[in-house]
Amino acid sequence: MPEAPITPAAVIELLTAEHILEPQEPIAPDTDLFTLGLDSMAMMQLLLQIEERFHLTIQPAEMTRERFATAGALASFLGEKRRLAA
Amino acid sequence: MPTLPATTVDFFLAGLEAFMIRSGQGTHWAVTMLRLHGKPDAVALDRAWQEVHAQHPMLGARLRRLWRGWRLVWETPGPVTAPPVVWHPLCDSAQVNEILLERLCGKSGSGDIRSPLMMEVLPLDGENGPHVVLLTWRHALMDGTGVNLLLEKLAAGGCDRGPPVLPEAKAAPLSRVFQKARPLMRRLHAMTTAGCLSAWSKTAPPPGPPRFALVELSSEESQAAFARLRAACGDFLQMPFHAAAAARAIRLLHELRGWNSPEIHMQLPFQTRGRSRDLLFGNHMGTLPLFIEAAALGTMDAAVSHLLEKYREAMKQEMPQASEALMTLSAHLPVAWFIPAVRWTNQGEICSLFHSHTGSFLPGRTEFAGAGIESVVTIPSVCSPPGLGIFCSDHAGRVTITMAWRGEGVSAAEIQALSRQIRADLTGAAGV
Repeated sequence: MPEAPITPAAVIELLTAEHILEPQEPIAPDTDLFTLGLDSMAMMQLLLQIEERFHLTIQPAEMTRERFATAGALASFLGEKRRLAA
Repeated sequence: MPTLPATTVDFFLAGLEAFMIRSGQGTHWAVTMLRLHGKPDAVALDRAWQEVHAQHPMLGARLRRLWRGWRLVWETPGPVTAPPVVWHPLCDSAQVNEILLERLCGKSGSGDIRSPLMMEVLPLDGENGPHVVLLTWRHALMDGTGVNLLLEKLAAGGCDRGPPVLPEAKAAPLSRVFQKARPLMRRLHAMTTAGCLSAWSKTAPPPGPPRFALVELSSEESQAAFARLRAACGDFLQMPFHAAAAARAIRLLHELRGWNSPEIHMQLPFQTRGRSRDLLFGNHMGTLPLFIEAAALGTMDAAVSHLLEKYREAMKQEMPQASEALMTLSAHLPVAWFIPAVRWTNQGEICSLFHSHTGSFLPGRTEFAGAGIESVVTIPSVCSPPGLGIFCSDHAGRVTITMAWRGEGVSAAEIQALSRQIRADLTGAAGV
């Protein structure tokens, strides 16, 4: 069965369900995640959750500001990574 | 009297300070040193200084135990009068160093420092030449994040807000807290069995006064270090990179002494989420214990991979939560018993070394109270054991490593060798 697409909504669901971010207001696809407190501890937690949920391995060197700036950017990066891995 | 909630890290720092005082090492002081290109604006600096004291009753706070619930709280008696900003006569770098060491000992002139914060301005070369600002602070009341927030207020010349209102943490049942702490307790016992040494030696004379050395990278060296960091760890995981250099430094120290320590136990402070970014006083950090295999630190590349793996493993095993839980259990002890209890369970050691990456001081700022900033660095006094702290920070793209120890705990030749290796490890330069 094909895996569900990695959408901005799926990324937002992961960020909140796993308590990686605990924002006061809902996260939009273009919300700046760093202003919500995405720090290095949260990033490592996110890395582990991405592996578990989307079955993708991210190298630390791939974790750039542009790719993790918003849920939309992260979903595009992960989608592309899955496409290349297929 | 009004109270503010205390965290388990407040307990940790209070316990560490209580141990330092009882073992003759004095209060846990730190000094932040700013080198400025010119003279700071005295009026703006004084106004900000007064406002910070007026807005933050934590500057007069004492950690108290409430009989009801045996909870630790900060008791805040009310607004605090600011001690005067001290303007020194003309002095040279050697005198600045002397004054800095005196402050780390908690001394000012012939007496003890009387307030938790002290600010001094020292002109180096006439009225309009370079100046140094020394900000002496008591670690039990604030940390590297708080210092940066305080520097922002002082740099901007005002402080119009007091501390944010913090929610009281909900207490979990002790049985659940114990279960959370179990993985770390097992790990600590395994470490003690494996053997884990620090820079502290049971046969050495009692710890002396605080000492420090700075490894200041040039702009080019700093750029090389940032490039190396990004290539290995991306834009976010700076901690494993700097911790790898610190772990390799302590491994070198063991080698130089002919000691065999198969494991290195690092205590890494990290920023706790959920605490307000506006909180100047009160601690923001949690501590992450990492257990490093000395054999995996042969090269910097190998050490970074190993640290990343250990960091990842620690997160997977929920070590930050286990550490917090263990501290919650420990916080039921009287403060003065905490470090002796840790030493007893860890066969004399606390950990191999303290390490932190404080990040950027005054990011984006080029001026402090109207004067251009050359550098910002923080120098903490460290407790012995473990006897050595290796800290990393940067300002305006320039990286500085601070090594801190006490008395003759680490020799000048050892510090030289460690400095050489740290510089080479961070920049990738050959010749270690």
